[in-house]
Amino acid sequence: MTGTLLFQSLVLGVLLGGLYALLAAGLTLYFGVMRVVMIAHSAFLVLAAYLAWDFNQRTGLDPLVSLVVTVPLFFLAGVGMQRLLIARLRPATVTMMSVLLTFAVALTIEGLLGFVYSGTQRRIQLPYSGASIDFFGARIAVVKLIAFGLAALALLGLFLVLTRTRFGQALRATIQHPQAAQLLGIDTNRIAGFGFGLGLATAAIGGTALALDSTIFPSLHWHWIGPLMAIIVVGGLGSVPGAAIAAMLLGIMQSLLQLPMGTTWAQTVFYLALFATLMIRPQGFFGGRLAQRF
Amino acid sequence: MRSASRWVALAVGVALVLAFPLVSPNAYILSAAVVILHYAVLSTSWNVVGGFTGYISLGHAAYFGLGAYGTALLITRAGVPSFLALGLAGLVVAVLAVPIGIAALRVRGASFVIVSIALVLILLLVFQSWREVTGGSDGLVVPRPFPELLRPQHHLVFFYLFAALLALVLLAWWTIDRSRFGMGLKAIREDEDKAQALGVPTFAYKLAAFVLSATFTALGGGMYALWFGDLDPVFQFSILIGSYMVLMALLGGVRHLFGPVLGALVVGVALEFFKQQYGDTQFHLVATGLLLGVVVLFMPDGVIPAVRGLLARRGPQQSSIREVSAAELQKERVP
Repeated sequence: MTGTLLFQSLVLGVLLGGLYALLAAGLTLYFGVMRVVMIAHSAFLVLAAYLAWDFNQRTGLDPLVSLVVTVPLFFLAGVGMQRLLIARLRPATVTMMSVLLTFAVALTIEGLLGFVYSGTQRRIQLPYSGASIDFFGARIAVVKLIAFGLAALALLGLFLVLTRTRFGQALRATIQHPQAAQLLGIDTNRIAGFGFGLGLATAAIGGTALALDSTIFPSLHWHWIGPLMAIIVVGGLGSVPGAAIAAMLLGIMQSLLQLPMGTTWAQTVFYLALFATLMIRPQGFFGGRLAQRF
Repeated sequence: MRSASRWVALAVGVALVLAFPLVSPNAYILSAAVVILHYAVLSTSWNVVGGFTGYISLGHAAYFGLGAYGTALLITRAGVPSFLALGLAGLVVAVLAVPIGIAALRVRGASFVIVSIALVLILLLVFQSWREVTGGSDGLVVPRPFPELLRPQHHLVFFYLFAALLALVLLAWWTIDRSRFGMGLKAIREDEDKAQALGVPTFAYKLAAFVLSATFTALGGGMYALWFGDLDPVFQFSILIGSYMVLMALLGGVRHLFGPVLGALVVGVALEFFKQQYGDTQFHLVATGLLLGVVVLFMPDGVIPAVRGLLARRGPQQSSIREVSAAELQKERVP
């Protein structure tokens, strides 16, 4: 009996870890191209969740359809944000000031969400909301599977774009060495904008996945930003594989610890991992050389 | 001449603050003034680490909350007299800030901010979940230090107490600003590697500034607990309080002694206004966010240098070669 329970937690942890991995990959992109820690990432996540909810409320269609609109919209918003806001900061202080700037964006989004949709908790009701399937004895909700599938597909797409396309090569070159990339004729400013756009697109996908199986409210993003930040520090700032591994590990640990400790205390595993990382290995456990100075 | 006018301005400022309760028309205005003074204490305390070293902490609400809860718990659980509890809570937070500082200051820039935010979130979680001790979301009532006073007199007493605490923090900032220690901290802000190469004990200096800042913030929090009398984790360990401190200090100017106080005055009045006007809506979040964005984008050095720059453009242009008389030169050399 406890074996099944343990197995079920493990599966749920993997499913949660997939979503964390997608979102952490987005954060890593921003940090890679601009050395920006994007506090507003999870605010955009919640914004996308609200848009999916609103879309479902108005049209009655499946919230997944809203991705057709939100992903391009968020991509453009990301490019615009990089061009209009982040690029204006002084290069010397960009890391510190961008944190404050994106923090300001997060507050504004949270406030506007509260203004437009009120602070009431919202949840999407779907015909398959309550459905679950039996997976080797573990009961897994269908919506969680869909959310994981969405995250996994998006991560795979991101991986293919980064490794198989000329744009992806240019993006990785910009992350590794901006000056050298410029010398090779890469327009690093444009690439940085697109990198930002890609990052925000992950928030759009993640937000829709989130809207499927959880209750949303404007201040929800604070519950996400802490774990996500912890993940990218543990993984090593700027390393996409590092972030993905850390996301999986911490997601599974959180899910397993929920059994003995309950949901609230299990969250502390992220912060403990964060402090432990800083004490033992400040550059992160799976990180590249980018992390050392930041 | 210049220093004389400075002393006069200071004396006028102090007199205005001290006389404010006499001219304030009602208890509400007085309580709003106490709130603004408490913001001034917090953002000036924040500026001890943020302004000198350039390490921007978005999580100073952690020390505010620890100071408030520390004071409250010492009074309610251990029966310590109110103001002794306040001092003890400051001491406890100072001790706690040492390991936190060691962990947080090992990393620069972005990671430091992440740790500071994480600290607030984890403390919020702990104080909400640990119901038996903290009362959780039901809140914790702090007994008043002067139970015989009526509400307006209570505000009056705390107005002066906060003013005294503010004076203490300002004095500390001023002393550091003029000391060798302060010079080292500023060197860290401008270029940490060069500072280290020149022999500044950067880690020890950063840690000392961090602990001092956390302690002052905790004293502000403890004083708030004694004044307000009711604590809730959501409000004490709130990211918003931490961001107010940063916003106020940046808006006023982190390199100026009175910068954070000026910022607290502007932002504090605006916040009170928004709360009155728009009540429980989330509008104050939008206003705070937009204001922070504008400050970061257009005047990252604060309003004092921005206004000075504007005035300098209007006034007589400064030539690159300054014309000074021998007498003036003599005076400049001997301060």
